[in-house]
Amino acid sequence: MDLTPNKLWIRILAATAFLFAAIAVCLLIGSVPVSLFDALRGPTHDGQSNIPYEIIVHYRLPRMVLAAIIGAALAASGCVFQAILRNPLADPYILGISSGAGLGTLAAVLLGWSWTVFGMSAMMLTAFAGALATTWLVWGVGRAAGRANITGLLLAGVVVNAFLSSVIMFLTSIARADQVQTTMFWLMGSISEMQQVEVIAASGLLTAAGVGVLLRLGPSLNMLSFGADEAAALGLSVSRTCAAAFAVAALMTSLAVCLGGLVGFVGLIVPHAVRLVAGPDHRQLIPVSALVGAAFVVIADTVARVVVAPAMLPVGVVTAMVGGPFFLILLVRYMRNLHWQVK
Amino acid sequence: MSLIEIKSVSFAYGTQKVLDKLSFSVQENDFLAILGPNGAGKTTLVHLLAGLLKPQSGRIQIDGKSIRAYSRAELAGKIAMVRQGTTPTFGFTVRQTVMMARYFAGGRNLFETRQDCAIVEQALEMTDTRRFADRPLHALSGGERQRVFIARALAQQTPVLLLDEPTSHLDLKHQIGIFELLKNLRHNERKTVIVVSHDLNLVQHYAEMYLLLADDGRTLYQRDGGGLPAATIESFFGVTGVEGTLAGRKVFVPTGIADRHNGVQ
Repeated sequence: MDLTPNKLWIRILAATAFLFAAIAVCLLIGSVPVSLFDALRGPTHDGQSNIPYEIIVHYRLPRMVLAAIIGAALAASGCVFQAILRNPLADPYILGISSGAGLGTLAAVLLGWSWTVFGMSAMMLTAFAGALATTWLVWGVGRAAGRANITGLLLAGVVVNAFLSSVIMFLTSIARADQVQTTMFWLMGSISEMQQVEVIAASGLLTAAGVGVLLRLGPSLNMLSFGADEAAALGLSVSRTCAAAFAVAALMTSLAVCLGGLVGFVGLIVPHAVRLVAGPDHRQLIPVSALVGAAFVVIADTVARVVVAPAMLPVGVVTAMVGGPFFLILLVRYMRNLHWQVK
Repeated sequence: MSLIEIKSVSFAYGTQKVLDKLSFSVQENDFLAILGPNGAGKTTLVHLLAGLLKPQSGRIQIDGKSIRAYSRAELAGKIAMVRQGTTPTFGFTVRQTVMMARYFAGGRNLFETRQDCAIVEQALEMTDTRRFADRPLHALSGGERQRVFIARALAQQTPVLLLDEPTSHLDLKHQIGIFELLKNLRHNERKTVIVVSHDLNLVQHYAEMYLLLADDGRTLYQRDGGGLPAATIESFFGVTGVEGTLAGRKVFVPTGIADRHNGVQ
């Protein structure tokens, strides 16, 4: 009645079109002016290598695909945290979960771990462990603080974030000088074009699979936004479902952190915008947010590339500059509306 | 066989005992009211019946089977719960809210089937909530919202409806409206209704069975309708009052607080 497969497909297609439009426009924007017409002539032109083609295909495109993956992963996991924690201001960055993943990654880098398990790098696994542990910690604190308190959970997240950030700072200060520069830049959230094609492909597949799993959990997440007891009374195995959804969200967050460092507020801004347009049903909120999130980070990264060209900003600076004020506006709004907030 | 069988159930929060060896049974198509002062364990009992809490001792059986042997989804097919004052974090509409009952009641489909939609429309119709089916929950009044949650419980298609103070914070018209609705559901849909309420006069008129819980652990289970004696009410609620009959209805008006030390109990 409300959401039919057709409606869902139309909205997913519209969001996909938006993403491709964003990528198409952003491909042409950069410190070096490039015309699409030149680039379309192919890898070689008049016997020489075609520079516009090189720039677009080997430089900008992979970077944009990475940005898109990061955006999709963060936006989708933002939806999950908001639903289960029943807090519209939850976001993997604000709750400190990105920092947890970042600390994990940093530990692997500083320890010089480079082993792989089933094709997963040590960095990815330690990031995942860090994200999971932080999720568990924030969830526990949030539950102890009680559901009535929208700010209790956020405070817990802020403190966890501050604590983990200082541990990260400590580790960076005892690290070797050559490691510091790249680490600092990475921590602020930056997307490099240095990733291999296999890494990009694997990350893309993992993100798509994660969005698929979360979409299937959509009806359960809908129930959970009424609270654990309500969901249980409707037939949901709450702890099992929460564990599964949190694991997927933590995995996607840690993937995004591995690829682009701490990019904040994507999981807050995007689900909010999508909810305003398409409603709160998680069956469409999750896939549509993933696509819009992808477009959002593509655009933010393009801004980061050009705004101080030829230098580059970390993309996390751009998303935080948009996200910070956005967060404050929402905070005021929700604190005012507390009378219909959950008990 | 009783539909619901409670056998010497005890429950405590930490060291604080709330229910002590409580036993009673509910038959099919009963209209049971659970009454008692604050802190007597009414809501705890509701949560025990809904499987949200586990008793420390004793047994709860539904359809002859222990409640622990049911999976969450199976139990949600037996008992639908309506709690007080729930609102979701996000702006779900009335219809979306009611539709959530169909996920486990239906076939766990990602998208609701035509049959699910028909059941939901019927539930909206029965509770007179279809008029505002597309409005978000938080834009409704308390009485309207309460009816939406009853509609959701109906869409769960369970034999038992379990309601925790469905009329608190509602005006007179809505209070009567909710109890009339429950009465009709009992007669027309053969539902078994279990309701926790503070409104003695409404309950005495509508319910057929009463379970009284006192805050000192005493319980009283009365299966024949026709109201509660004033002495019973006074002793369980710790008040003094007068009873009477108005237009054929039994009423109790509290007039003061009983002084237990002087043996008014």
